[in-house]
Amino acid sequence: MIKNVWLITLFTLREAMARKVFLFFAGISLIALLGLILVFSVVGIDTFVDIANQSGSKGVIREVVNSIQLIIINPLAGLCLLLAIFSSASFVPSMMEKGNIDLLLSKPISRDQLLLGKYFGGILVVFLNILFLVIGIWIIVSLKFAYWNYSFLYVSITITFAFAVLYSIIVLLGVATRGSILGMMIAYFIFILLSPLLYAYFVEFKSVIENDVLKAFLDGLYYIVPKTSELTGIITINLAAGKGVTEYQPVLTSLIFLILAIGFSIYLFRKKDF
Amino acid sequence: MFAIETNSLSKIYSTSFGKKKVNALSDISLKISPGTIFGLLGPNGAGKTTFVKLLLGITYPTFGSGLLLNKPVSNYLVKKKVGYLPENHKYPPYLKGRDVLKFFGRLSGISGKELEVKIGELLNAVKLTEWGNVKVKAYSKGMMQRLGLAQALINDPELIFLDEPTDGVDPIGRKEIRDILIEQKSKSKTILLNSHLLSEVEMITDRVGILNKGKLLREGSVKELTEKKEEYKIKLVETEYNYGKYSDQNTLIAKNSDGSLSVKVNDVTSLNLLVDALRKDNILIKEIELQKSTLEEMFISLINESEKNSL
Repeated sequence: MIKNVWLITLFTLREAMARKVFLFFAGISLIALLGLILVFSVVGIDTFVDIANQSGSKGVIREVVNSIQLIIINPLAGLCLLLAIFSSASFVPSMMEKGNIDLLLSKPISRDQLLLGKYFGGILVVFLNILFLVIGIWIIVSLKFAYWNYSFLYVSITITFAFAVLYSIIVLLGVATRGSILGMMIAYFIFILLSPLLYAYFVEFKSVIENDVLKAFLDGLYYIVPKTSELTGIITINLAAGKGVTEYQPVLTSLIFLILAIGFSIYLFRKKDF
Repeated sequence: MFAIETNSLSKIYSTSFGKKKVNALSDISLKISPGTIFGLLGPNGAGKTTFVKLLLGITYPTFGSGLLLNKPVSNYLVKKKVGYLPENHKYPPYLKGRDVLKFFGRLSGISGKELEVKIGELLNAVKLTEWGNVKVKAYSKGMMQRLGLAQALINDPELIFLDEPTDGVDPIGRKEIRDILIEQKSKSKTILLNSHLLSEVEMITDRVGILNKGKLLREGSVKELTEKKEEYKIKLVETEYNYGKYSDQNTLIAKNSDGSLSVKVNDVTSLNLLVDALRKDNILIKEIELQKSTLEEMFISLINESEKNSL
C-alpha cells in the first residue's frame, strides 16, 4: 500500500514541477535569498550585528535573529500558500478526467491509495518549497549573526500543516464537484478572510458582542473552521522563538477538520462511477 | 475457469436528480474462455465501454456480478494480471513515451531491470523506439494508440481489454496492431476487443458478442454468426437450363449471372430432393457451397431487427 501511495505522491510532485507555478515560487524564493545576501553585504547591518552581540545577552541576539527571520518568511510563506492553493487545486480534478482516471483505476491500486497519493503529493511539493526558503533564510541570517536559531526550522512544518488543512478542503471539493474552482475559492476565503476574522473575533471582539445567538454561532464557526490564521501566525511565531506550541486547540481542531475532510473525500471517491 | 465471467451484469444510470433512468447495460451474462480473442460489437452507446468499465471496477454495477480470472471484479489486486487500453486515453503531456510506460509499469508492480527491458521490447514492438524519449504532446493520434497498446501490455497481462485500439491508426499500423494481438493470443492471452471496425474484428476474433442498447443480442463464433442457415450456392457445368421448374414451396431458386444457382431451402431434405431432380435431368453439379454473410451484413441486419422490435 505504502509503495503505491509513494508512487502517486512522486508522480504528483512531477506533475507539479511540470506546472511552472511551483518553479516560479522556487525562483522567487531564490531571488529573495539572493536579495537577503545582498542586503546583508551592502547595507550597514554589521553595526547592528555588533550591537546585538555586544549586549552579551543570548536572549537579545535570539530575539533579533528570530524577528528578522520571521519578518522575511511571513510574506513569502503567505505568497507560497496563495500560489500553492492555485496550483494544486486542479491535481484531483485532472486525475478524475475521462481517459486519465480509467487508466489509473485499471491498475492494481485502490482508490484510497490513489487519492492519498495525490493528497500527500500536493503537501510534499509545498513542503519542499517552504523548506528551501526556510533553510535558506535560516542559514543566511544565522551565519550573519553567528547564532543558530534551530527553532526557526519548525516554521516549515507549521506552514506546511496550514496548507495541508486547506488542501484537504480542495481535495474534498475536487472529488465532489470534479472541478477546481469551488475548492480554490473556499480555500482562499478561509485563508484570507474567514480564519483571520474569526481569530480576531475570538481574541478581540468576543467580549463586546452581547447577542448570545450570534455569539454561539460565531463560537461554533470558530471551532469548525480551520485555524490557518493561528497556524501561520501566533503558533509559528512561538515555535520559531523556541517557546514550543503554546496553544494546542487550533492545532487539534484543524487536524480534526483535516482528517474528516480527507476521510469524507475518500468515502466519496470510493463511491464514484467514472 | 473462465478469463471473464459475468452474471446478470447490469448498470442503470440516473440522470436529472434520479428522475430519469438509463439502462446502460441489462442483464449481461457472458463467459469468455482463456486464450481467446473476444470481439464486443455494437453501435455507439450500446454499452461496450460500460461493460469493460464494470469489469475493471471503474464503474460499479447496479445489479449482477463479474469475475476476472476467477476473482471478483471488486478485488483490485487481480488487475496485476490485466492490461487496458481505454478509448480516448490521456497521458500527461509533459511525460516522454518511455516515462509513461515506466510509470504504468511501476504502478502494475514491475520495476528495475525487468521494467527497462520490457519498455525497450514494447517500444520496438509498436515501432516507437525512436520516439521513446520524446514528450507525448508531440505524438500523433496513431502514435498515442501504439503507446497505449504498449502501456496495456507493460505488465505482460493474462487478460487484455482494448477499446478501439486501431482508432486513428493508418492501415499499415492497424495490420501491425493486429499482428501484435495475434501474437498475444499465441501466448494464451485472453483479449476483449471493443471495435467499430467489423472487418478487423472478423479477421482476428474467435468469438463475438453483439450489444445494442445495453442488451446482448447474440454471442458466438464468427462462423456461427455469419452462416446463412439453409442457403446454398450450387455451381453447375451447364449454364442454360430452365431452373424455374425446380422451385416449389420448400425450395426457392434464383439464377446468378455466372449461371450458378442461389438456393434457399427449408431443410437438408429439400436440398437433396433438388440435387436428385437436377441429376435426373442429367445436369452436372460442380460444387455446393453453404452461403455466408459478412460480419458487417449480419451486424447491420441484427441491429435493424433489434431496433424494429424495440419500437
